Amino acid sequence: MRKILAFSLVALISIIIACLPVFAQEKVVRMALKASDIRSLDPHYGTTTIDYACIDPMFNALVRFKPEDINPEKIEPDLAERWERSKHGLVWTFSLRKGVKFHKGYGELTAEDVKFSLEKAANKASSGFAADYAALDKVEVLDKYKVRITFKSAIPSVLGILTNYHGGYIVSKKAVMEKGDKFKFDPIGTGPFMLKEYLAKEKVVEVRHPEFFRGRPKLDRVELWFMPDASSREMAFRKGEIDIVEGEREQAWVNKMRTVPGTAIEIFGPGETLTLHFNMTKKPLDDIRVRRAISHAIDRGELMKFLGADVTSKLVSVIPMDYLGGTDKVATYEFDPEKAKKLLAEAGYPKGLDLSMVITEMSDYRRPMEQVQEQLRRVGIRLKMDVITHTAYHEQIRKDVNPLVLYVCARFPTADPLLTQFFYSKSIIGTPTAVTNFSHYNKIDNLIEKARVEPDPKKQKEVWGEAQKKIIEDAVALPLCITKFVFARKTYVDLGYEMRSTLTLVTPIKETTDIRK
Amino acid sequence: MGEYMVYDTVCKRRGDFFVATLYEKRTMLTYAIRRLILVLPTLWAVVTFVFFLIRIVPGGPAVAALGSYATEESIRQLEKQMGLDKPILVQYGSFLKNLCRGDLGKSLITHKPISQEIFRALPYTLDLAIGGMIIGILFGIPSGIMTALRRNRAPDYIGRILSLVGISMPEFYLGILLMYLFAIKLQLFPVLGGGDFSHLGSRLYHLFLPALTLGIIMTAFVSRMVRSSMLNVLGEDYVRTARAKGLPERKVIYKHALRNALIPTVTVIGIYMSILMGGSVLTEIIFSRPGLGKMMVFAVKDRDYIALQSVIIIFSAFVFLFNLITDLLYAVIDPRIEYH
Repeated sequence: MRKILAFSLVALISIIIACLPVFAQEKVVRMALKASDIRSLDPHYGTTTIDYACIDPMFNALVRFKPEDINPEKIEPDLAERWERSKHGLVWTFSLRKGVKFHKGYGELTAEDVKFSLEKAANKASSGFAADYAALDKVEVLDKYKVRITFKSAIPSVLGILTNYHGGYIVSKKAVMEKGDKFKFDPIGTGPFMLKEYLAKEKVVEVRHPEFFRGRPKLDRVELWFMPDASSREMAFRKGEIDIVEGEREQAWVNKMRTVPGTAIEIFGPGETLTLHFNMTKKPLDDIRVRRAISHAIDRGELMKFLGADVTSKLVSVIPMDYLGGTDKVATYEFDPEKAKKLLAEAGYPKGLDLSMVITEMSDYRRPMEQVQEQLRRVGIRLKMDVITHTAYHEQIRKDVNPLVLYVCARFPTADPLLTQFFYSKSIIGTPTAVTNFSHYNKIDNLIEKARVEPDPKKQKEVWGEAQKKIIEDAVALPLCITKFVFARKTYVDLGYEMRSTLTLVTPIKETTDIRK
Repeated sequence: MGEYMVYDTVCKRRGDFFVATLYEKRTMLTYAIRRLILVLPTLWAVVTFVFFLIRIVPGGPAVAALGSYATEESIRQLEKQMGLDKPILVQYGSFLKNLCRGDLGKSLITHKPISQEIFRALPYTLDLAIGGMIIGILFGIPSGIMTALRRNRAPDYIGRILSLVGISMPEFYLGILLMYLFAIKLQLFPVLGGGDFSHLGSRLYHLFLPALTLGIIMTAFVSRMVRSSMLNVLGEDYVRTARAKGLPERKVIYKHALRNALIPTVTVIGIYMSILMGGSVLTEIIFSRPGLGKMMVFAVKDRDYIALQSVIIIFSAFVFLFNLITDLLYAVIDPRIEYH
C-alpha cells in the first residue's frame, strides 16, 4: 500500500513538473478588479467599473480627458484633430484625424462611423446613455473626415458628452452592422488594445493593436481578471500573478500593502461622493428640524478618520470641488450633538426617535453607515439597519422604503448630472421619469434648467452654486465625504503618465504603459 | 440510498451460474432505469422551487445590470427586453417548454447561451471535485486504517484530532492558508484561475491547491469513516477466524477486514462527492476558477435567473448521478446485495 501511495505521489508530481506551461517573454499587465463579470463591451452599454476598465483601452472618442486628469476644462483632441463651434454653441464641426484604423481589418475611421456612433449613443434602443444626448438634433457628414453636430438646445458641456466616457466612444459602423447583438462581446474600436478573448466570469484578454494611431503600444497584452474576493486578489498580487490590483478603500489595507516590497499604492480621484439623502416625505424627516438635528449629530471628521485619512477627502457641498460647478461656499452643519438634541426636542422628540432602514452588504456603504448609526445613537436617534444584498438595496431604495438613503457615486465631473439625478423634480423616485431623487426635492428646478442653457461659464457656475446653497439650507441631503479609489501596482509597471484622477475609475492602461523589469 | 437486500441465492440454488449473472444484470439495469425515471420529477420539483424562490427575492436582473445608473424607465425597458414583464406563470410555462427541448436559454446579463457557459465551466468543477476526492481517498483510507489499528494510542489521538480539525475548517479559510503557504511563501503553485484546459500540465498545476483544499477536508471525513468501519469489522468473527487460521496480519487486514469496512465508506464517499460539488462554490471563488460554483454565486448576485436555474439543474443531476453510482457500486463490492 505504501509503495502504491509513494508511486502515485511521485507520478503526480512528475506529470505536473513535466507539463508545466512554458511562458513566452511577453510584456503583459494583469489587473484584478472587484467584479464578478462584465455586462457589455459595447461602450454604449457598459455601466459598471469593470466594463469601463475593459472598454477604455479598446476605444477612442472625438476628444478625450488627459490620461491622468479629469478636469473638463483640459479636454484635448483624440480622434478629432480640431473643431469649431458656432456663436451660440449649438453647431459644432469636427475635423477627424486621417489614417486612424479600426481593429482587426475593419478599415479606416471616417465621418460615417462618427455619425453612426453618436446616433447609436442617442438611441434608447441601442444605448444605455441615450438621455445624455436628448439635446442632440442631428449629425451630418460633410466629407470623409468632417462631421457637423447640431444641438436643439444648449447643454452644460458639449465636449463632455463627446469624450472617452459613456456614449462618447466611437465604434465601427461596419462591425456593428455585421455583428449585431454579438458586438456587445466582440467589439471593434480604434484603441491601443483589441479584444482577444472574453471568458465569462473569469477575464477579458486584450492584445496590442499594432496600427494604433498614436504609435505601437508598448505592452503585448492586457488581462483584466474578475476577482470579487479581496483576499484572493491580494494573494495573487503578492504572488506576482497580478500586477495591478483593486484594493480596499481602507486605511488598514493601504498601510498593509505599503509594506509589501516592490509595491506602489495609487490613491486617486475623482473618488465617489458619500451623501446621505433625507426622504422628506417620511415622518419625522418631513420636519426640517429633525433633518438639521441629524446633520449636526454626524461627526464627519470622525467618519473620515474611521474610513482612513489617506482614502478620504472632504465633501462640503453635494458637488465635489473638483467638479465643474463644485463649491465650498455653502452653509455647513458643524458637529454639535447638543444642538442636535435641542433641535430634536423642539421638533417634539425630547427622548430621541426610532428610524429603520435597509443597507447594502457592500462595505463601501455598510461601514460608513454603521459609523453614522453609532453617531446618531449618541444623540438619541436609534437607527435600525437591515443588511441586504447590493442589488436588493438598489431596488428597495427606489421603492421609497428608506427614510435615509446613503448613496455612493461618481459622475461626469460637472455639477449638472448630480443635481439633475438627485435634486430635480423629474428624477423623484416613484415617478415614470424617476432617477435617484430620494429626497423628493423639487425646489431648484428653475436653477438646474437655467444653468444648463447659460452660455457664460462664470454665470453658469454661480447658478450651480446657488442651487447647492439651497439644497444645504433646506437640509435635503448631507454630504459626508469623498472616498478615493485605491489600487496597488507593482513598481515594474510603468503607466507612462502620473496618475491623479480618472473617470475610468480604475488605473487606465494606455499605449504608453510598459513593463520595466 | 438505493433499495437493496441480502442476496438469497435463489439463482445459485438452481446451479445455473449463467442465469444468475443475467438475472443480476437485468435487475440492476431495471433498477437503474427506474431511478433515472424518478429523477425527472425530482429535478422538476427542484427547478420549480428555485424558479419561484429567486423571483421572490428582492432585486431583479435589470437593477443588477444597470446598477447605480438605473432609472425607472430604463429598468422597465430592460425588463421588457429580458421578458420579465410577462406574468410569472407565462415565464414559467415558457421556461419548462424550452427545457423540454433541451434549451436552457440565454444569460440575462451576458446574453450568451447558458449551455455554452456551463459546457465551459463544468469540466473545471468536475476536475476539482474528482481531484478532491482522489486526495481524500488516497490519504483518508490509509490514515483511517492506521488509526483503527492503533486504537487509543498516540497515532489514533493525533489522527482523530487532525480529522476533527479538517472537518471543522471552512474551505475558504483553509484555501487562503494553503495559498499563503504554497503560493506566497514557497512559490510552488499558482493562485489564479483554472489554467489552460487544453494543456494537461497547466490544468493540473492550477488544480493542485484548490483540490488540496477540498481533499484535506475529504481526507478528514473518509479517515473517520474508515476508522469506525474498521473498528467494527476487526471485532467480527470472520476476522478472528482468519487470524486463528494463522493468516498473516497484512492479509487479514487488507483481504478480510478492509473490503468489508469499505462498504459503508463507499456509501459515504458517494454522498461526499455531492458535498464536494457544493464545496467547489467557495473554493472556486477563492482560487478564481471558472467553474459551476462560481457561476452559481454570480448568478445569485446578479439575479441572473436563467443562469441560476440552469446551474441548479446541472448540480441536481450530478448529485443524483453520484447517488446512483454509489448504489450500483454496492453490488460490485458486496456480491450479497441484490437490487429490486
